[in-house]
Amino acid sequence: MTMTRKEFLQTAAGAIAVSAITRIASAAAEKPGPKRGVSAYSYVSDLNVNCTLEDCFAEINDLDTRNYDLGLEVLTGVVEDYPNPSDAWVKKWHDMCAKYHVKPVEFGHWIDSKLYNETGPYLSTEESYEQLVQDIKVGSKLGFTHGRTKLGVIDQPGMPEYDTLTPVRNWREIIKKALPVAEKYNFRMLPEIHAPTLLNSKILEDYIDFIQKEKTTPWFGLNIDFGVFQNITSARGRDGQPGGMPMKEGTYSKPEEIIALLPYVHCCHAKFNEINDDCECPNIPYAAVIDILKKHNWNGYLLSEYEGADKGSGGAFAAVRKQHVMLKRMLGEA
Amino acid sequence: MLEKEVVQQRGFHNVYKDGKAVGFQVRYRSTYYRGVWLSMSTGFDVTVDGEKFPRDQVTVTIGGKTYTQEEMKKIGNVQWPNYEAAILTVTKPGGLKLGVHEVAIAWGHRTSYIPGGMSMGRGETPARKLVLVY
Repeated sequence: MTMTRKEFLQTAAGAIAVSAITRIASAAAEKPGPKRGVSAYSYVSDLNVNCTLEDCFAEINDLDTRNYDLGLEVLTGVVEDYPNPSDAWVKKWHDMCAKYHVKPVEFGHWIDSKLYNETGPYLSTEESYEQLVQDIKVGSKLGFTHGRTKLGVIDQPGMPEYDTLTPVRNWREIIKKALPVAEKYNFRMLPEIHAPTLLNSKILEDYIDFIQKEKTTPWFGLNIDFGVFQNITSARGRDGQPGGMPMKEGTYSKPEEIIALLPYVHCCHAKFNEINDDCECPNIPYAAVIDILKKHNWNGYLLSEYEGADKGSGGAFAAVRKQHVMLKRMLGEA
Repeated sequence: MLEKEVVQQRGFHNVYKDGKAVGFQVRYRSTYYRGVWLSMSTGFDVTVDGEKFPRDQVTVTIGGKTYTQEEMKKIGNVQWPNYEAAILTVTKPGGLKLGVHEVAIAWGHRTSYIPGGMSMGRGETPARKLVLVY
């Protein structure tokens, strides 16, 4: 799959011809406040089957990049020859980012504690650190300034915390060891706060306690997934709930619970699984959440993450477009 | 690009050694949303026309390198990417007859961030009819 630069430019030239990229790249300072972006995970069911990675870039470009570059999240799996991408591929990546006006923001990566078995022993602190540093370096090479740093989860049936997504016992040691590396590479490590975890919970208390005690800001913080706010069960969503792990019946976080966390939140997943033709998301209180972010001068990217029922059957592209209409209205960009 | 189905039509053929069929190959793509370290795969099972092949008869080729399923368990630094179908090579003296076969493949993997006991078994696919030309 490796392309020469000439081949790439020929391909890119064809793709670019239809795209209205008339804006001159600006060196102006980044727009403050909440900004739009997309996690290419939204398109994962189409990628490699109906479209290429470059098609995803072109699609994001078409979500209105006239005023600023849209933020981008990709997962490690899109990186050719990950974890050892070639220089040619890295060059191709940066060329695509420039051409399509997308800004690498968050690298979705994992500490695979269960690399060798399910029930332990899990990866040691040293082994976990090595995985983490490997991803910081790959992510940084691709221009990412944040990582959606997924920590391993140790809950087992019968444990008291079972199904609350308790991270591995040595997560503090792993992160502490990696802090200087994160700073050196300008890479913020952010575990994702995802359903069924609640914002008002022991796990969040532990994270905040660690962040404050170890003064990790901004190199270790939080990525909030807006699925935690889903307060109406979705009729159409996958399993009637946010994608991935569902919220427990009847439990959800209130938008105002994010306020105290904002100093430590460096990125958000704009999770959604339903969006109607009025471009409204009926089961997650987006207006209230965005309003809080604006009022509290939160600065960062909202990365669209679609997990609707039609994601596997070609629905993702239209759904993300509708969500960006919604976000533009709420952010005063419409 | 890859076929939408996980079991791929293209690449389904016998493997010949010294002019004799010694087995067959079939390609399988992962629909899991991320690449998988080889050690986190919990194994491939191939069934053709109702005959299930033991795992020690099925090797896996990823990134141009071929691994036994036992070898894969120890390799935690090579990833099976989403953009590549794994080539499964099955030892079967005489190979398969030319024509239509029903092929089902089961594959599973661990997931570090899902509570224990909930890791993903992808399960056996519904048999797909594939045409063997050589």
